[in-house]
Amino acid sequence: MEMKPRTVGNVAVLAIEGRFDANTAPAVQQWLEQATAAPGARVLVDLSETTFVDSTALATLVSAMKRCQQGQGAFALCGLRRPVLMIFELTRLDKAFNIFVDADHALAVLNA
Amino acid sequence: MSLQHSEVIRLDLPARHAYLHLLSETIAELLRQAGASNETLVYNIQLAAHEVCTNIVSHAYRNRQRNEDRINVTLTFHPQPPCLEIELHDNGETFDPELVPQPNLSEAQIHGYGLFLIRHLMDRVIYTARSDGNYWHLVKYLEPGRPQL
Repeated sequence: MEMKPRTVGNVAVLAIEGRFDANTAPAVQQWLEQATAAPGARVLVDLSETTFVDSTALATLVSAMKRCQQGQGAFALCGLRRPVLMIFELTRLDKAFNIFVDADHALAVLNA
Repeated sequence: MSLQHSEVIRLDLPARHAYLHLLSETIAELLRQAGASNETLVYNIQLAAHEVCTNIVSHAYRNRQRNEDRINVTLTFHPQPPCLEIELHDNGETFDPELVPQPNLSEAQIHGYGLFLIRHLMDRVIYTARSDGNYWHLVKYLEPGRPQL
């Protein structure tokens, strides 16, 4: 797994390449805790190159989203591949997250 | 399906998260050999098996941290009807799956999706606690239209 963080406008973006699972989630969690710590944080997780997402990854994302919401911030996901999106749909987490087709669409909203 | 005979692969994995990708890759290769190329089908089977292993590492072996803790996995492709059977065994602590609460799907939860995913992604899931540890038996039929068991 490779993490590719960047900042676009007011949005902290993390692209995750490869497997996002119980083995790699701690590194992502650490980055997300820092990114969502400030009130009003705007965070985007780009999953377009993420090949595998397990329940630990889901827990990591839900935790970050809730932390962001508590600070009146914005948290979004983008680029979910079809099998990954179907897991979000099965768990109905597609209703809980702001999910965009790609980073451009997400950043247009988050930076508005 | 490409394979017309049964094919068996056995894995003896250290019970650590770092090695679980090997199971995913082995499942993908066996299904590729079998001619099952549906991306979502392959992913769902990989995820279900992975979640069982994560449960074993994080719960069955949680109080042990011993280097010799293992997960034994047997993957069997059956051609008639085409299905993948996954048997997993560990020597860790047993548990009662009936005591694991179902996730409340009406709101996002931090925990509780693992067992839910295993049960919903496979056609058959049987967990058995024995004196020598935990036994999981998972089956997924590979052709559409197969009735859910």
